[in-house]
Amino acid sequence: MEVNSEAIRQTDNGQSVGNERDAQKDKYMTFRSGNEYFGLKIQYVSEIIPFQAITAIPETEDYIKGLINLRGKIIPVIDICLRFKQEPFEYNDRTCIVVINVQSTVVGLIIENIAEVVEIQEENILPPPSIGRSDRVQNKYVYGIGKVGDSVKLLLDPDKLLNDEDLSLADQANEMNIDEE
Amino acid sequence: MAEEFNTEGMLDIYLFENEQLLEQLQEMVLEQKDAECFDQDSINEIFRTMHTIKGSSGIMMFDNITAISHKLEDVFFYLRESHPEHVPHLKLVEHVLEVADFITEEMDKIRNGNTADGNPESIIKELDAFLEAIKKGVGEDALMPENVHEEPKQFYIAPVATDASRFYKVYITFSPETVMANVHAYKVVYAMKEIAEDLLYSPEDIISDESSGETILKEGFKILLQAQCTETEIRDLIGVGYDIEKVDVYECKAEEFLLGFDFGNQPPHIDLESSVEAIEAKAEKNSEKKAADKTQMAPGDFVIQTKEPGRPKKLAKDKQKGAKDAFISVNVSKMDQLMDLIGELVIAESVVLQNPDLKVPGLNLSNFNKAAGQMSKISTDLQNVIMSMRMMPLTNLFQKMNRIVFDVSRKLGKDIDFEMIGEHTEVDKNIIENISDPLMHLVRNAVDHGIETNQERKESGKTDRAKVTLSAKTEAGKVWISVVDNGKGLDRAKILAKARKQGLLEDGRLDSEYTDKEVFKFITLPGFSTNEQVTEYSGRGVGMDVVVQNIQTIGGALEIESEAGLGTTMTLKIPLTLAIIDGIVMEAGTSSFVVETGVVKQFVSVRENMMIHEPNGDEYIMIRGECYPVLRLGEWYGLKDYRKSVEDGMMLIFEVEGKAICLFVDKLIGEQEIVVKPIPSYIKKVKGLSGCTQLGDGSIALILDPVGLIE
Repeated sequence: MEVNSEAIRQTDNGQSVGNERDAQKDKYMTFRSGNEYFGLKIQYVSEIIPFQAITAIPETEDYIKGLINLRGKIIPVIDICLRFKQEPFEYNDRTCIVVINVQSTVVGLIIENIAEVVEIQEENILPPPSIGRSDRVQNKYVYGIGKVGDSVKLLLDPDKLLNDEDLSLADQANEMNIDEE
Repeated sequence: MAEEFNTEGMLDIYLFENEQLLEQLQEMVLEQKDAECFDQDSINEIFRTMHTIKGSSGIMMFDNITAISHKLEDVFFYLRESHPEHVPHLKLVEHVLEVADFITEEMDKIRNGNTADGNPESIIKELDAFLEAIKKGVGEDALMPENVHEEPKQFYIAPVATDASRFYKVYITFSPETVMANVHAYKVVYAMKEIAEDLLYSPEDIISDESSGETILKEGFKILLQAQCTETEIRDLIGVGYDIEKVDVYECKAEEFLLGFDFGNQPPHIDLESSVEAIEAKAEKNSEKKAADKTQMAPGDFVIQTKEPGRPKKLAKDKQKGAKDAFISVNVSKMDQLMDLIGELVIAESVVLQNPDLKVPGLNLSNFNKAAGQMSKISTDLQNVIMSMRMMPLTNLFQKMNRIVFDVSRKLGKDIDFEMIGEHTEVDKNIIENISDPLMHLVRNAVDHGIETNQERKESGKTDRAKVTLSAKTEAGKVWISVVDNGKGLDRAKILAKARKQGLLEDGRLDSEYTDKEVFKFITLPGFSTNEQVTEYSGRGVGMDVVVQNIQTIGGALEIESEAGLGTTMTLKIPLTLAIIDGIVMEAGTSSFVVETGVVKQFVSVRENMMIHEPNGDEYIMIRGECYPVLRLGEWYGLKDYRKSVEDGMMLIFEVEGKAICLFVDKLIGEQEIVVKPIPSYIKKVKGLSGCTQLGDGSIALILDPVGLIE
């Protein structure tokens, strides 16, 4: 976890000159899930914590693992792997939970392997491929591809991650409720 | 950005104060909507309110608000001064509310950071026209007795002194031969009016009462004057004539002025020897004596034969606007932090008190227990106080509904009374925000659909006035808010017919088989309405759907009861979230659950032979002669590793709202005070779960909602 704390410290010590926002602007937190590397804008990340006991909630989607107690606050956690409909992985001591805050919705993401914080300039970001492999669920959530050295990271849009697919499910659920009542 | 001086802080205060003023204004206006006209106090108060709003809006440079409040102020100034006889009261009420609405809208824009760009022109024009109308109306209906002079304009300016105002006591002695001294006195008064900000004289009735002339000759004519002029100017105005023998003018203080004439007991002894200070000192002593005597006339009391709408006359100063407690406005986020911390405290407390370290056998913990008991007591008190801080009475919300009933009933031409019961019930601030819209829909429905027109009511033989009642009460950890109307009720047949048309009915099920409850639930479906036409207020079939959705997000429920021809009752049942409740903790599989203690009637450990299995999989159990449906929690929620055999687990009998169910769980952990926290909104609502909480050991337990399970 030292890498992570370093990463976090890095962002804190960002450029002292200029806006704090700007210092965080091009920084992405990267992690591995399945066979790909993903990147998430650092301004959405509020903290990274080691894996802890999760209380399951019945009758929710498979990727919603349940709730955790974060210093008194109860937040839901989702498994990124399952969200992307990949093969689930065994939780071990390298697994961590990244707490993100998207428009005041706080959610924890269970991530197999955290990598590092990198800076990706705008010119190194390309739009995602629009054709081919549309069956891959990730494409909905990936808004760009960032080049870092020799590798690429798939840049995620947290909004879509949290809201997109769920919306249609919610409507269905509501309709069902009304019918039942 | 130009160097605009920072009005941030002032803006907040401005918005806050004016919001309060407008609310009070609205309340007052609605209170008197059924009267024939506004009583004197109200006119003054409305005038003062508009004056204040005008002033502060002027400072903040909101010109349109200033203009419109100035206009309304003019109207009320006229009302106050001339007191015209025939004022179309309801129209006036509407105008006031219109102005209030305009200003509120503008303030909303300001609050959201937009410019206040509303155009008050049309309203101002209306007010102008209105003012003209009533001015003309006075001319025609002048009932005041004919006079040498024109209709006496009795001044009546609120005792609000400006810095430049001064106060004088004027004492005029007429020569004893003067005939009709009262008329002469009136001449003086009339002259003073030009400069007077406020004026009071004794004897008062110098116009029609002939005997006042005698009084004046005997005791002299006393005037209390508030003006910005000098003594010389006063003397000039009074003039000199053969009739006036002596004029004494001396300046006094505002307090004395306000006290009115305290010459009563004192013979009008004009002390020319002592200095002004001494005179004032003496007067002060008197005023202290008289201060308690509230029946003294004071400027503000005097004047105008008002048409009392049956209300006892009160001095405007006396009027208490309810119990005005001292308030502090606190940032809501601080309150939230406080709430979180108290929740933490409860948990930490139980961690300490149930600590395994204490479970050493043979340890004498009597002192510790005593201290722990004390701590528990204090922490419970602390919880209660903090909970109550976020609670606000429903009064404001209900007042808003009052306004809606008034508006809609006016537009539809129905006479509707509005009643509030239990408006002082306190509810968490969140809840108030969330039920404001649904309640509005329900009230509108009641007025639009429920209450019949006056004609219809007469025809159906209803003699009582149409009434809409809003009531609130807390019961069983929930707050029940009902909208009751004595209108025509829901038409069961019509609803079923519409449902059939929309294909919502089950095949093979007779109309008569549907319970009332089921039939009424149809109206909550989106797009469902038995209205043939859409009116301005309702009929689209959207309102009830919105109500149900909103209520469900806060975990509440809507109940509809109705009797054809008699009326409808819509009840919102909303749980008091963020409560700390007594709960029973239980385990099923690897998960912990909690349920409110009040719901659990019994727990029994059962044997297999008490179970009844239906062929379709349902299970029932006989306990002491009663048969209950059984719900296996582990199975229902698909939990892992739960106990299968009923003999290994525990049965809990829940009873809520008359229905009972038996829940099968693995084991009971114990009873604990828990902090109810809502399940994070990210997670969609799960049937049977109403929240979550943290247990003493930090683990999370899910809170069961018995109503959801019973269904």
